[in-house]
Amino acid sequence: MKELARLRAKYSDPLPAEHPAEAAILHVDMDAFFVSVELLDRPDLRGKPVVVGGRPDARGVVSAASYEARKFGIHSAMPLRTAARLCPHAVFLDGSRGKYEHWSDRVAAILAKYSPVVEMVSIDEAYLDLAGTERLHGPPLAAAHKLLSEITRSTSLPCSGGLAATRLVAKVSSEQAKPRGLLWIPAGSEEQFLAPLAVRKIPGIGEVTERALHALGIQTVAQLAATPQEKLEKVFGQWGTALHRKARGGDAWEFVIDAEPKSISQNHTFPEDLDDAPAIETMLSHLAQKAAKRLREAGLSAHTLTLTIRYSGFETHTRSRTLPTPAQFDPEIGGVFRELFRANWDRRRKVRLIGVALTGFDHGPAQMELLDGERREKAEKLARAADRLRDRFGFGSVRFGGSLPRDKS
Amino acid sequence: MAAPGTAREDNQAMEFSVSKSALLNELNTTQGVVERKTTIPILSNLLVEAHGSRLTITATDLELSVRTSCEAKIKKEGAGTIPAKKLLDLVRLLPEGDIKIKLLDNHWVEIVSDKKKYKMVGMAKENFPAIPAMPHTLVQIPAETLAGLIGRTKFAISMEESRYTLNGGLMILKPDTLAMVATDGHRLALAETKQTLAGLNGEMRVLIPKKAMDEVEKLAGASADDAKMDFAKDESHIFFQAGHRLLISRILTGQFPNYEAVLPKENNRTVVLGRTELGDAVRRVSQLADQRSRAVKFAVSSEGVEISAQSPEYGEAKEIIEKEYKGEPLAIGFNAQYMLDFLAASAEGPISIELKDEQSAGQLRPLADENYNYRYIIMPMRI
Repeated sequence: MKELARLRAKYSDPLPAEHPAEAAILHVDMDAFFVSVELLDRPDLRGKPVVVGGRPDARGVVSAASYEARKFGIHSAMPLRTAARLCPHAVFLDGSRGKYEHWSDRVAAILAKYSPVVEMVSIDEAYLDLAGTERLHGPPLAAAHKLLSEITRSTSLPCSGGLAATRLVAKVSSEQAKPRGLLWIPAGSEEQFLAPLAVRKIPGIGEVTERALHALGIQTVAQLAATPQEKLEKVFGQWGTALHRKARGGDAWEFVIDAEPKSISQNHTFPEDLDDAPAIETMLSHLAQKAAKRLREAGLSAHTLTLTIRYSGFETHTRSRTLPTPAQFDPEIGGVFRELFRANWDRRRKVRLIGVALTGFDHGPAQMELLDGERREKAEKLARAADRLRDRFGFGSVRFGGSLPRDKS
Repeated sequence: MAAPGTAREDNQAMEFSVSKSALLNELNTTQGVVERKTTIPILSNLLVEAHGSRLTITATDLELSVRTSCEAKIKKEGAGTIPAKKLLDLVRLLPEGDIKIKLLDNHWVEIVSDKKKYKMVGMAKENFPAIPAMPHTLVQIPAETLAGLIGRTKFAISMEESRYTLNGGLMILKPDTLAMVATDGHRLALAETKQTLAGLNGEMRVLIPKKAMDEVEKLAGASADDAKMDFAKDESHIFFQAGHRLLISRILTGQFPNYEAVLPKENNRTVVLGRTELGDAVRRVSQLADQRSRAVKFAVSSEGVEISAQSPEYGEAKEIIEKEYKGEPLAIGFNAQYMLDFLAASAEGPISIELKDEQSAGQLRPLADENYNYRYIIMPMRI
């Protein structure tokens, strides 16, 4: 499904018309996703401040907080200990990645029914292009409503949506619609919608840019839009051009180009630092399979495989291998990462984080194999079958050897 | 290490003089074997032995060794080791004339040319690895034939270290033919020539590492046109002797793929192009091909051969070469580099392109190669 996003990045005008004729880009965002998934198992916690991420005295950060917890100032990426101080009576849950992935896959399966152009940008967030789906699902607004209702009906998970002519406005509007809302910004009214918002609401504007804008006396999007482009370019360079565009609701060019990933990576921080080689390799194999699946979904193959090992104490090592022919399938990708790990882990120190990254993408014509064509064909069939099952039943439904947790008995 | 003292008085001493040109010739022969980045210091050194009226120089990287010699005036027989790269660089810079070399204490070596004097740090000769001795010669092969086979196949060897059985060429010796085959899993080059190999009973196959093939090719190039090489083999080594130069290589272990199974048998859609016109067209068209895959499309029809390529970044290219073709039209993609590699190794003249379908390997043959039966099998790309 990411294949189409890639095509768009490649063939569409990188600077699209100011206002495309129709608002057909839908941004779907799951509301407090991790918390909502946990509540499926613990309905007793509904209406209470819930924090997912770990024990209140643990070292990690908040992955998600319920709306009730957010009232206390808790937000994601905040240290758990800070969260515990802000709201001592909140319920702290460990969270389980596998469970979230399962539900994320189920949501993705519903999204895929509404448009051939779906881009999952993270586990709980996706863009859909509803243009051209009218005869199947009705006008975009009706389709969006139907889609969100279906997610809530079939998964019991709350979600919000933003429908607009550009990805940027769609994302901002879904944020404004939360929780359990759908906001439609008709084409032509983008500036009006964005004008009163704080500049920080614009995706891409973080703390640093916000501070710089405040220093220029720019607080709202309206003020940003009223600032001459030349002035922004003088201060921010190329980024100034993008800001000028963003203030009008246009997607900055890099936003579209990013539809084709430059790298695919999967990391895992162990709840406790580990020096158990089989356990680390099991996780490594799991991460490699996840990355390989995303690679195939994007219709790509990768030349360069990079392993990250972070030890206790944050010392981080990365090791890469570049293959003469790009890889796409699990046995090859998993095998290289295992070799890199075995050759580079010092075996003395405990591992805090392990990560895999695929880069050097190739989506050109594929060279066929002379000698082991049959073996490769089998690997290809196996991967496609596994990917189909995973799309239907969740990633954990198919595992290749190496990523199976060991029997604890 | 203590400073070098005077010449040793014991019988371990070595002292000789040799002409610069003779020494430089032999040092050049050894350079391809000496490893630049070795972790075993002695392998960066040459073993230098003075006996009778000859100076023998040996280099090894443990996989591949070369042993060569030249005339020298020996004052004291003996042996020592000298850093290979430094010695070559120095000797190159010395003027013509005699060079005197003398072993000092602590393995230091003194090199004197007229009034110029140098001392280099050597290492104990006892640390130099033992080199296997050449068993009796199995067959004699013309050096030119060996070079011809290697030149036609070597480029197809895989550089992928993990596919180590493809990191060399397979030499197939039969009483009346000699053949060499190499593949990287995407293409395969097979060259065969009629050659009476007296003394051979039945068939013999040896897998020769790429680096050894490079050196055999060089040895052959340095030999006279009608020179013959003595070929011998023990359980784990092969030996090529050309005059006073001996090359010893470990045999690559492992199973070379069953290449006979992938040789096309029913490629009956044939079109013939000139080597130069084909090569020129592929070179031009591939300028606008996808830079990573280098895919070029060959569409064969009654109009001739249309060679084309495109890439979103650069644009597109199309050339038509009018040729007679009576078969079913067919469009197939190949890696331009693979095609050019073969054309560079082929004899000038017509090249026959023999295809089956879009999914099957194509075969290329130069029709004007008189001495070699040369076939190149190339797997298509999905385009």
